[in-house]
Amino acid sequence: MAINESAPLPAASEDWHRLSFTGSGKEYFGIWIVNILLTIITVGIYSAWAKVRRNRYFYGNTVLLGRGFEYHAKGMQILIGRIIVFGYLIIYNVLLTIVPLVGIALAALILVLLPWLVMRGLRFSARVTSYRNVRFNFVGGVGGAFLAFLVGPVLAVLTLGILTPLASRWTYRYIGNNMRYGTKAFTTDPGLGAIYKTWFLSALIILLGLLIIGFVVFINMSIVFAVIDNPQGIPPELQVPMIVMGVIGYLVVLLSFGIAALVYHAGLRNVAWSSTVFDGKHSLKSDLSRFGYVWVTLTNVLVTLLTLGLMRPWAAVRMARYVNTHTAVRFSGDVGEVFAIVQKDGSAVGAEFMDFEGFDFGF
Amino acid sequence: MASDGQIVASGEWHPANSSLSVVARLTETSTGLAVERVPSGEILASGGLAGVQISPRVGSIPRRIDFADGSLFETTDNDAIDRLLARSGRRATGLVHKLERFHPRLIVLVVATFLMAGLVYRYALPVLVEVAVAVTPPVVPKIMSVSTLETMDRTMLSPSRLDAGKQREISAGFAKIAALSTRGAAGYSLNFRAGGAIGPNAFALPDGTLVLTDELVELADGDDEMIIGVLAHEIGHVELEHSLRQIYRAAGMAGLIMMIAGDVGSSVEDLLVQGGGLLALSYSRSAEEAADRHSVELMSKAGFDATAIARFFVLLENKLGDRSGTNMLSTHPGTPERRKAILDYESALRAKRQN
Ligand SMILES: [Zn+2]
Repeated sequence: MAINESAPLPAASEDWHRLSFTGSGKEYFGIWIVNILLTIITVGIYSAWAKVRRNRYFYGNTVLLGRGFEYHAKGMQILIGRIIVFGYLIIYNVLLTIVPLVGIALAALILVLLPWLVMRGLRFSARVTSYRNVRFNFVGGVGGAFLAFLVGPVLAVLTLGILTPLASRWTYRYIGNNMRYGTKAFTTDPGLGAIYKTWFLSALIILLGLLIIGFVVFINMSIVFAVIDNPQGIPPELQVPMIVMGVIGYLVVLLSFGIAALVYHAGLRNVAWSSTVFDGKHSLKSDLSRFGYVWVTLTNVLVTLLTLGLMRPWAAVRMARYVNTHTAVRFSGDVGEVFAIVQKDGSAVGAEFMDFEGFDFGF
Repeated sequence: MASDGQIVASGEWHPANSSLSVVARLTETSTGLAVERVPSGEILASGGLAGVQISPRVGSIPRRIDFADGSLFETTDNDAIDRLLARSGRRATGLVHKLERFHPRLIVLVVATFLMAGLVYRYALPVLVEVAVAVTPPVVPKIMSVSTLETMDRTMLSPSRLDAGKQREISAGFAKIAALSTRGAAGYSLNFRAGGAIGPNAFALPDGTLVLTDELVELADGDDEMIIGVLAHEIGHVELEHSLRQIYRAAGMAGLIMMIAGDVGSSVEDLLVQGGGLLALSYSRSAEEAADRHSVELMSKAGFDATAIARFFVLLENKLGDRSGTNMLSTHPGTPERRKAILDYESALRAKRQN
């Protein structure tokens, strides 16, 4: 069937087309509270369907060039995936009690299974996502997942975070280079130097936090000396300052590590997305302001906690809007032609497949 | 050729597997549904209502109408599709979507959710914790304890500076009560450490490893019986599996929140897990009182002064000025009420024996 008059798409331009988010906190509130209530009433079973409704809402409201993304997973698929993982954990625990040796072997098996589950999870997430009637796909293997999701994090921890950028690069390359839209490939190669720039900023923030703690301890030296002089107990008049100092120290640590992680996350996303190219010529871009992102996240947390969670839908929508409006695509050539080519390739993934989720990649 | 149907909604139509779309409208005909091109009216797809799949409504995101030939019609006119479904006798809107709509009724749902969450916390969580404790293989507390002690040794504790004679004295007293406990003397090991940051303290790890700090021994000032009383209290924590319960409680809380709320945001999630971890460090008030009673029973069985542990609280009150109800940095809040509860329990026990 020939398509003569296609629905209007922007003409050829070098413009960046930004994503937008069209949902509202008011609308999401109902979906969110019903999800929670039904999940409790059904002893957790509904959570799989809740996830589908939540994702359909967020994907559907993520709009590029006037059209939203779509999430096609079925609640049953997600439930089966969860039952399999849960069943494995139960068998594992039972065996660990009865035959400890088999349990240890099963634990080793998890080490092999984990990358496979991660790979399956990424594939599932990609395949149940579509844009303009064409599905995404993920073609990564187990080896890449092993490197990106097991070797990387272990290396990062062992080097006290110094090699975290390397691990992040592996992860983004694994995901970015194996992602497909229809049969067209994405490619990405985030530069290590650029990631380290972000990492240095985060390291500085942590250092600053430690300095503040050092300073607080320093100006409260009298307490520290009192403890050293009299290790049997702190004099009662110094107990309150001691507690205050402990609380301040804890908050500073929490805040500086939290901000450092957020700054790193935003900077990393910018570097990785901005180095991603679709089909060899169309560029992606992420331009989150690092401190804007920190601000949105922290105020979201604060508002959510202060309202006992009731403002969480508002916070989620606010975050989605913030991230989407800082994400853009630039098509080289006529946008209509881009999608015509995708059409010619036909479907890469059959719409019907028995698939289960494996490992949820939501987090 | 144009269909003679009634227009339902306008939107875009995609051929099967194609990203290209044409402006189109959905019409209702005598045989079912048809999609026709705008403005020519050429029929692009058609099918009986039973043969097409209409996606359930979520908020106001576009509706998908999938035809049997794989083509897709998409429209943002949700209400029109709902009316179509209502006319054709299907349920107009999913029940779930009806509930979800912004409406004063949502207040009832919020209240119901809070109530249900409260019930889960009050009744379901303890059951889950008991089940988890029951099925935990003994290696797990063993591994947990070994790694906890290792971490504490590396960060806060240092080798004891008590002289060997004093250590032997306390160990001998401890052996007496440990032998009378359910797990027997072999179930426990007593370790001496210099407390550093944790000061005068004693704590029990779930596998029966007990740690006693030099500072506590010094605080006791020769009152070994009181130290044994404190250790009997720690045995109580082990026998009643308090720390395992506490860990499962924290883990269960985090898990339930993640499962129920689905998305609480990763930052809030992190905060909750952090908070859970902090909570896991301190026993609940009822756990403390249960361990106190355990101490009273064990001490009287071993022929010691059953209320020896009460003297510890007197000491805490006098020396550390701890008269507060709760001390947030202490894992064992010493309160005058607890001392009173111990004395009451002891006299009740004695009265029962005399009857
Ligand atoms: Zn205790």
